[in-house]
Amino acid sequence: MSPDGQTRGVKVTASNNLYTAILALAFCVVLATTVLVAYKCYSQYGTIFKIP
Amino acid sequence: MSALTKILIVLLTISSIFLCGIVVTYVANADNYRQKYNDLKADRDSLSRKAKDLTKQVNEKISEKRLLEDRLSSEVVSLKAEIRKLEGDLKNVDRERAGLVQKVNSWASIVQDFSQTNDKQLQLLKDTREELNKVQAEQIRERKELNETTASLIEKMAIIETLEAERKRLLEEKTELQSRLDQLLQPFGKVAAAPVPVTPPRDIARPATDTIRDIALRGLIADVDLKNSMASISIGRADGVKEGMKFYVTRGDDFLCEILIIDVEAEEAVGVLELVQQQPRVGDNVSTNL
Repeated sequence: MSPDGQTRGVKVTASNNLYTAILALAFCVVLATTVLVAYKCYSQYGTIFKIP
Repeated sequence: MSALTKILIVLLTISSIFLCGIVVTYVANADNYRQKYNDLKADRDSLSRKAKDLTKQVNEKISEKRLLEDRLSSEVVSLKAEIRKLEGDLKNVDRERAGLVQKVNSWASIVQDFSQTNDKQLQLLKDTREELNKVQAEQIRERKELNETTASLIEKMAIIETLEAERKRLLEEKTELQSRLDQLLQPFGKVAAAPVPVTPPRDIARPATDTIRDIALRGLIADVDLKNSMASISIGRADGVKEGMKFYVTRGDDFLCEILIIDVEAEEAVGVLELVQQQPRVGDNVSTNL
């Protein structure tokens, strides 16, 4: 939506680093939960998505 | 960044953390169904194998039991047959035993009777020997007396012959004297009177009169042993009872038996029952004369 000239010249920066960190924390939590669930599924059932 | 975006970020983060916590908690506490399935499957397989083994063992046991039943049935049949045979043998043995017991009893009674008879015969032999000894002693004594009597008789015969010769001589002298006296008195017409002897004439010897009388001992039966045919009486040597005497047992006017005395005590005597007509009892009368 912005012109290429403007995009190339504007450096993207976070408007607020605190909420970015909160989002990162949420993402990390979700990711860790996903990894944990995937690990449990694989370790217990031998597969992640298929029904044994 | 607007305030709504910030609120949404915060809410998204909180909700994400909350939901992730719930998911983590659930996953951490979730059961391992695969492990359970595997365990149950292993248990089922082992139980199936055990069931098969047990079934096989049961079938083997059933077959063994049938074989054993057949064998035991045959053994039972053979044992029953043997039992019947043994029962028959037992009956035969019982019959033989009863017969042998009867024979033994009869032989025992015969032996007992024979023993009693033998004892009686021994006692009689003893008595007879004693009597024989007495008779022989008496015979010796009588022979001695006979010898003495013979000697005395010979002596008296000699005296008689002497006296006979003397008598004959006296008769001759008497005849001669009678003839002389007749010759002397004949011229005077007288005859000599017949002489009257002072010594009276003797009569012919006669046997003496029977002065024997019965002893007439009387007593009572004191004890009776019917098993040995023995009895004891209430009179003994003090009353004049001697061995070998015979007593008659009576009850009222009935004759019961005789008792031959074989042993004599001072106040009682024991004898053997003979000629038993009725069984004597204690208190029956005994006497030497009927």
